[in-house]
Amino acid sequence: MIELQALTFRYAGADRDALHDITLTIPDGAFLGIIGPAGAGKSTLAHCLSGVIPHAVRGDFYGAVRVDGLDTADSRLTDLSCIVGTVFQDVDSQIISSVVEDELLYGLENFGVPREEIEERLTFALEQTGIAPLRHRAIASLSGGQRQKVAIASLIALRPKILVLDEPTGELDPSSSRQIFSLLRRLNRETGMTVIVVEQKIMLLCEFAERLIVLSDGRIERDGTVREVLGDIAGLEAIGVNCPRSARFSSLLSEKTGRPVPVCVNADEAVEAARRLIG
Amino acid sequence: MTDLFQYVPGNTPLHRMNPITKILLTLSVCIAAFLTDNLFVLLFLLVFDLMIGVVAGAARKAFSIFRGLFKVSLFLFVLQALFVRRGNRLFWIITDEGLLTAASVVLRLLVVCLPLALVLTVTQVSDIANAMVQVLHVPYAYAFTLTTAIRFIPQFMEEMSGIMEAQTARGVEFDSQNFFKKLGMLLPLCAPLLISSVRRTGATATAAEVRGFDLRTRESGYKRYGFGLVDLAALLISAALITGAVLIP
Repeated sequence: MIELQALTFRYAGADRDALHDITLTIPDGAFLGIIGPAGAGKSTLAHCLSGVIPHAVRGDFYGAVRVDGLDTADSRLTDLSCIVGTVFQDVDSQIISSVVEDELLYGLENFGVPREEIEERLTFALEQTGIAPLRHRAIASLSGGQRQKVAIASLIALRPKILVLDEPTGELDPSSSRQIFSLLRRLNRETGMTVIVVEQKIMLLCEFAERLIVLSDGRIERDGTVREVLGDIAGLEAIGVNCPRSARFSSLLSEKTGRPVPVCVNADEAVEAARRLIG
Repeated sequence: MTDLFQYVPGNTPLHRMNPITKILLTLSVCIAAFLTDNLFVLLFLLVFDLMIGVVAGAARKAFSIFRGLFKVSLFLFVLQALFVRRGNRLFWIITDEGLLTAASVVLRLLVVCLPLALVLTVTQVSDIANAMVQVLHVPYAYAFTLTTAIRFIPQFMEEMSGIMEAQTARGVEFDSQNFFKKLGMLLPLCAPLLISSVRRTGATATAAEVRGFDLRTRESGYKRYGFGLVDLAALLISAALITGAVLIP
């Protein structure tokens, strides 16, 4: 479980808080999506969850973040990393090795995964992220999207209890993005891994995440299930969050007809809602 | 240039050799080149280097490095020939000893540079680092520094060309033929390149830390590096090269 208590963070030299008075509890096994306009503090929040803030970033840190009972400010980053796996937004600076296989091996070797288990985990992560044919390729020769998959695979192989991903599909095409999200959902459901994703692609988040947090200006503006959050389209758009068309459609439908229409998170639900109204 | 230090996969005896043996062989060639003053021995070492390139399946690369070094070598040769004053005058200010010294300096440069580039063609840097930690008991932090330095070369190049493209798009003429003009345009790029690199290095250090950098021990490496017959042969060749360089006057 992750608990944030009155967390406030201001980067060194900045004139305003990047995060302000954030109190939040994320239970084990959650699939949480974090959205918000640019500069809302999404990446800062992700860094706070993984302990990178306050350990590797300078600034004023107030409040407390507890991950599985460990206070991130008092624990070593190494101890935290045994619990929380992090995929950073800047993929290139996250990659440590020159070859795909070595990149995946790096964490497995460091965390002392038994030798007989390593190959199985390696193959699983490579296959599930769709990069098995790239296993022996030099990372410098890969495209941005392929590198992103390598970064995700290297964390998936570690099977952390909590996985934090900062815009993991930023460089991926729509089908690869879906593939990664499906994989995250499967890991979440089958192994109970807590998945926390910062993402701009709201459609994907709405389809896969169970809970959505909307950040704006370093504050939590909305926190609830996907349908709860999407229930207030006008409010979200005022914050600067682009809502899925299906949700906008159901909201319009309700507004124009004056009848209650459930929030639709995908096209099928929108069609169903329209059909029910007509017939 | 970017592919100069890049690993080329393969299954030649050189690829299968223990990374430590490869480094020893490389060092032996370098030591032999500095121990001898005999031009024929140096020529033999150069041919040996090129042969290694052929065996490694990287003949084309070996020759392209050879070609790449040619201009520098020519410059060095002229410089040495002009400045060495000993020996008998042949013509103008050129002496026979000057020519001999120039030739041996140039040959030595070629002999030393080739295997250093080739060893990275047939060995992954991570293997060199892991083998250094496992076999030579080098602390992992030092090995990591080596791998990171080499891994950053292509990234550096990529970033440099990115900055150059951005500048070209804004009208800077990087395609100028004038060397000094080009140099003048490149120098201001060093600052942004350095700043972005330092920033990236910090981020990479954090990335390494959150994936258990501090937990790594000598036994952590998954791959094991054994010694085989091909390593024995390479060690014998290394010994022979050094002995030959010492014994042949």
